[in-house]
Amino acid sequence: MKIALKTILGFLVIAAFTACEDDEATQPHAAMSVGKYIYDTNETMKIHFTGSAENVVIYTGDTDHDYELREASNYGLVVNKGLFTYSYQQPGTYKVVCVATNHTDAGNSIKRDTCSFMVKVIDDVTEIERLSAPQVIYDEVFANPVNETDWLLRLPRKIKFKTSNATVSLSQKLKFYIGSDSTKVYIDDKEFSSTAKYNLANVLNIKLKSHEGTERPYKLYTVNYGEFKTFELLGVQGTITRSEFDYSYYEINMTVPSGSDLSNLAPTFTLYSDNDKVYIDDVEQISGTTTADFTKPVTYRFVASYPNRPDITAESTVIVTVTPQ
Amino acid sequence: MTKYIFKIQILCLALLVLSGCNDFLDKEVLGNSTDKNFYDTRYKLQAALNATYDILQSDEFTDSDWRFGEATADDVIGSDEGLSSQMGQLVHFRFNTSNTYIKKRWDINYKGVHRANQVIANVDRVQLSNNDYSKYREIREILGQAKFLRALFYFNLVKTFGGVPIRPEIETVDNLVIPRSSREETFAYIEKDLREAACMLSNRYTSSNSGKASAGAAVGLLMKVLMYQATPGTPSEKWEQVVELGKYFVQGASMTMSQMLRYDERYNEDWETLRKRLWFKPKELNGETDPYEGPDFEIAKLVNAYTFKYTDATGSPITYLDQFYSAGEFCSGSIFEIVFKESGDGTTGDTNEGSSIYSTLFASGSPMYADDQIIANIFGNDYRRNFTIGHHQYTPDHENTEIGAGRILSLKWYTPIKDRPTYTGDSGKNRRYLRYVDVVLMFAEALNECGNGAEALEQLNSYKAVVNELNNSSSLYIGGGYGYLRDQIWKERRIEFSYEWERFWDIVRQGRAASALKTFSTMRPNKRGLYFREGVNEIFPIPQTEVDISNGVVTQNPGY
Repeated sequence: MKIALKTILGFLVIAAFTACEDDEATQPHAAMSVGKYIYDTNETMKIHFTGSAENVVIYTGDTDHDYELREASNYGLVVNKGLFTYSYQQPGTYKVVCVATNHTDAGNSIKRDTCSFMVKVIDDVTEIERLSAPQVIYDEVFANPVNETDWLLRLPRKIKFKTSNATVSLSQKLKFYIGSDSTKVYIDDKEFSSTAKYNLANVLNIKLKSHEGTERPYKLYTVNYGEFKTFELLGVQGTITRSEFDYSYYEINMTVPSGSDLSNLAPTFTLYSDNDKVYIDDVEQISGTTTADFTKPVTYRFVASYPNRPDITAESTVIVTVTPQ
Repeated sequence: MTKYIFKIQILCLALLVLSGCNDFLDKEVLGNSTDKNFYDTRYKLQAALNATYDILQSDEFTDSDWRFGEATADDVIGSDEGLSSQMGQLVHFRFNTSNTYIKKRWDINYKGVHRANQVIANVDRVQLSNNDYSKYREIREILGQAKFLRALFYFNLVKTFGGVPIRPEIETVDNLVIPRSSREETFAYIEKDLREAACMLSNRYTSSNSGKASAGAAVGLLMKVLMYQATPGTPSEKWEQVVELGKYFVQGASMTMSQMLRYDERYNEDWETLRKRLWFKPKELNGETDPYEGPDFEIAKLVNAYTFKYTDATGSPITYLDQFYSAGEFCSGSIFEIVFKESGDGTTGDTNEGSSIYSTLFASGSPMYADDQIIANIFGNDYRRNFTIGHHQYTPDHENTEIGAGRILSLKWYTPIKDRPTYTGDSGKNRRYLRYVDVVLMFAEALNECGNGAEALEQLNSYKAVVNELNNSSSLYIGGGYGYLRDQIWKERRIEFSYEWERFWDIVRQGRAASALKTFSTMRPNKRGLYFREGVNEIFPIPQTEVDISNGVVTQNPGY
């Protein structure tokens, strides 16, 4: 009797063990929900895993994460606690594949389920963040937006550097700061080159074309700060001094014979451009006609504007100080 | 029947034993500190403050600072730049949100915040032995230092992650999950701490108090915090405030307490309540001789408290490199140092003593180094390139280095033989965290941003003149337009603060991390820096576990 019992028990134990070997993994279920299917580059995509599985990975479909290339060392990204976030660097259309897996402890049985959706990533940046002439003699001079389409670059005619005054050419390189590398820039319908020089004497017609194909036109105007070309008082020629720090600030210091009456003088001067206007306070100054009191420093305000565009201006200041000898 | 009786007996015995336990558990432990009575004296509060300083000394803090501030940027080549390692992924900007170094950086800085909060939240439990003015000042200075440290940790967090959760000062289990504050809110919180600390602390601590965060440290860090909020090329109130603080710190302009706090715009708090909160002696208790700090009370001047002359704490001349060594500890140009020595009792295994910068970065197999091309890019012909050292060259104290062929290291990471501790677990020198030169260069940059190029140049050259004394040079920076001056200031920053783990934050702040790293990637065979995504990688992702455990209350940064 006892032997029979032991034999039965022995069989039972063996049966139990063999049963374990045949144990199969439960069938996983792959399912995900996503808020939307169109994203900007670098925008966060949130995927919630809504199926049931022990292990979940997502192939996002871009470089290194392409499900079709999973045998060629492309890999999926692990999903933690059912939430997965990702963002795409490059615009394009990608297939997102979710792989849900269950397996037994020894890995003898592995079961998978997959699901997928397509996502479109667009890059539609046509905004100029900043725009500059990066090499004006030695300085990077930034342009400013005037309105939605017009940008204005204010340049001095000369720049003081160490002891010399170098003339600023109107032929300059340009530098664009744009939020996306994929956006192309065209100037007068030719593709922009960072090493080419552009003639700023004319308005530049700029066009930005995003990867998505959206085009947006801009115009770049260049205006030189106004200053006196010549300035003469009581037969004495004044010379202009520049500030190396502020391109819109000039000084003229001159000495005149002692005994001259400085209180009511009409200086004669010439300007570089017909579009430059000179004011003391709000009174326009005319060479040889309007008078000023030179017993103390006189501040001339220059308004240089682009031809026929009174809204596009560069303002500068010239301070004339006269000392009797 | 006997069986039943036996069972009942056993059951009764069990009940008896279990009910007996209750009583034992209820008994209060006598003679120990609890969180209720722990903070009742100044000494206990000081112990809590020391524990906050401890975080700065920890290996995790040091480690995280060089990995993020230096290894990710364009002044070094890493020994570990393979994409299979977490470090390699980090410096290539090809990490995922579970990167271990990102998580560690988050953790160590929040650990610091938590410890500083312990001091700040419990300061009102302190009982003073008498009503002397000095007693209030002692507590106020402990509180001020805790505020400085909390600001320092949050500044690290906001630089790294953008807006972060502001932890409540008193944490309970009911509010463990805190949503993120915005970048602006986080910065405002930091600013408030620093402005208050600047009013509460002494301008400089010397002799046995050396190493305490001073008002100088608070104002210096405040200038940096303001500068990080401002954008180069865009006029803003923040730049103007840096100029205002620079005038106070560098040029000796006077500043009242309400100006420092920006009381009118930032506070709804009544002045007396504010004073009490910051442990200024309450007005009603003030004696005749006690000073009263009203809104117009002028805070201590900082001008001349620090200089950038190369002199030690006693005013004796030291070499340029001594500024970073034991000889130059608390030297005249050093505003805040992370003190390693005081806890160095020589025993191993205590991570808070800090492995030395020397043993980690210099002694053997440095995890990052430069090469000739990088050194030329940083220094050009500047004399300070002599403070770097290459393969088998001799250090200032004539040690033949074991740096690998072709590799160059900064002598700022070196520790002279005579200063080296006997025990490997110790650090032979303090880490310089904030130097006076930084304050002056921040002032110069802000002046230029506010359209005052001439004064900016003056500040910039005031330091260059000191550097020129090293080799009797007379080359100064040259005046020019906004962009030119800005580039010269940035160049000087890169040279002067090279290898002080500042470079990555600087290029991010200047808005040119992407272009600087792209340029760097063209020099490197492994193209490190090429994957930096402009507009995304300027801040790192919130560690994935933080997003997970908060069930999405803590949101991820855009692009991750």
